[in-house]
Amino acid sequence: MNRRSLRSPLARALGLGSAKSGVLHWWAERTTAVALVPLCLWFVASIVAHSGSDYAAFIAWIRSPLATSCMILLLVALFHHSALGLQVVIEDYVHSDVRFAAVVAIRLGCYGLAVLGIVATLHMALGG
Amino acid sequence: MNRTDNGNSASARPRPLSPNIQIYRPQLTSVLSIANRITGLILSLGAVGLVIWLSAAAAGPRAYGVVQSVIGSWAGQIVLFGCTFAFFLHLCGGIRHLVWDTVHGFELRSIYISGWTVVFCSVALAVTAWVIAGWPQ
Amino acid sequence: MIIESSDQVSRFSWFKRFPIPRNFKVTRESRIEAGRTWPPSAGAKRVKAFEIYRYDPDSGANPRVDTFHVDLDDCGPMVLDALFWIKNKVDSTLTFRRSCREGVCGSCAMNLDGTNWLACTRFISDMGAKATIYPLANMQIIKDLVPDLTHVFAQYAAIEPWLRAKSPEPEKERLQSPQERSQLDGYYECILCFCCTSGCPSHWWNGNRFLGPAVLLQAWRWLTDSRDEAKGERLDALEDPFRLYRCHTILNCTRTCPKGLNPGKAIAEIKKAIGEREE
Repeated sequence: MNRRSLRSPLARALGLGSAKSGVLHWWAERTTAVALVPLCLWFVASIVAHSGSDYAAFIAWIRSPLATSCMILLLVALFHHSALGLQVVIEDYVHSDVRFAAVVAIRLGCYGLAVLGIVATLHMALGG
Repeated sequence: MNRTDNGNSASARPRPLSPNIQIYRPQLTSVLSIANRITGLILSLGAVGLVIWLSAAAAGPRAYGVVQSVIGSWAGQIVLFGCTFAFFLHLCGGIRHLVWDTVHGFELRSIYISGWTVVFCSVALAVTAWVIAGWPQ
Repeated sequence: MIIESSDQVSRFSWFKRFPIPRNFKVTRESRIEAGRTWPPSAGAKRVKAFEIYRYDPDSGANPRVDTFHVDLDDCGPMVLDALFWIKNKVDSTLTFRRSCREGVCGSCAMNLDGTNWLACTRFISDMGAKATIYPLANMQIIKDLVPDLTHVFAQYAAIEPWLRAKSPEPEKERLQSPQERSQLDGYYECILCFCCTSGCPSHWWNGNRFLGPAVLLQAWRWLTDSRDEAKGERLDALEDPFRLYRCHTILNCTRTCPKGLNPGKAIAEIKKAIGEREE
């Protein structure tokens, strides 16, 4: 038999065994998704309502405690959901060892951008 | 698992793989699923844009004005409309997924009805949002 | 537009393949080359053309697509009848699996006009003007339309598809109420034809680790069997980012099942069970 490996088909299918984890990722994806439905709709509705207004109006809007809180929650939920989703996409299509580095890079990038957005929001809300 | 035919030939010729995405028929199931993924990727880029926009606003009226003029340009408006449509498609598709997580709506008839609903609703919502946004005050 | 059952064929004639290159990500040995065209028999009035994937492992050549012209007046109504007509009257080297010819054994599963189905239960009249017959998608091909199912059967064995019970054996049967027995309906009928697994894009990209809809449907069949006592261990074995969670509810599986079963729903039940025990 000129097979590349002499491992049995069952051993190949069993691989390294079950990781016995994965449900937390599943729950986090759903939780952030449920949170994002009202938050994103609020955001889109606000943009639509304020379309055409100037800088001063924008600052006045984002200064309100409700808008600031919603924006921060939106950034947290959005980037967490995005990190989870992008991780799944990379796991699906990237099969080389680059996968681990790519997942780490995506996660760090998402959380970094979230912090950037939150700081910018707070800067406008609390600044002079 | 690349066994040769009978193991006699010295050259271990691997077996061919039958075509998959090259010949498999696109159906509402697979098309809406890949659309949900593509719109998710677009929205991830949109999230980066959101942070750029917020940072520009925090930097002051001049930076904000620059970003607003980019958004207001022809290309910017097309990208913005694309993002809006992507957002509503991903939103409706996401709600469809959340319903599936409760193990409801798995009969083929329900899958197709909910699928077409997602398509039509996202188009309608995207157009509505833009009409309202552009309505002269 | 609204599909009510999986045996409805798609009527969209213009969107037959995704708009990607014909040989996208195809390895050198899998590249399909031009094949030969076999002429229709003399005097045949109703003729239909069939484009069939061929591969001869002994020739050293690449796979090719041959075109056969079948005399419909001389042939039975199902696609399997057409395959037999070609094998008996035109080219006896055409190789395919078959057994029951009534849709219960799963042997003749193949890709007909772009979707996976059983050749013995697909009417020739439901095939398109240019009928295409390919083997089950994304499978290693032994010859012509015969795929190597070793790996998918190994994945099936990996989920331990037998009753696991520590309670002492009763004198007669392990009892089950009619309501408990009805929990198996829609899952025990699977004939392991692997149409669903072969049509799942996630299994195409991660088939070495993702179990696929057929195996996961059978996993649910054993999870939901009231006589089984290993529910926890079964869920532990399934809870894995690749074995189970590569499923993104694409639902090609439910769309293509020739027995009208619902693997997508079974997988959702598994995810729900795992999600519930976490809360």
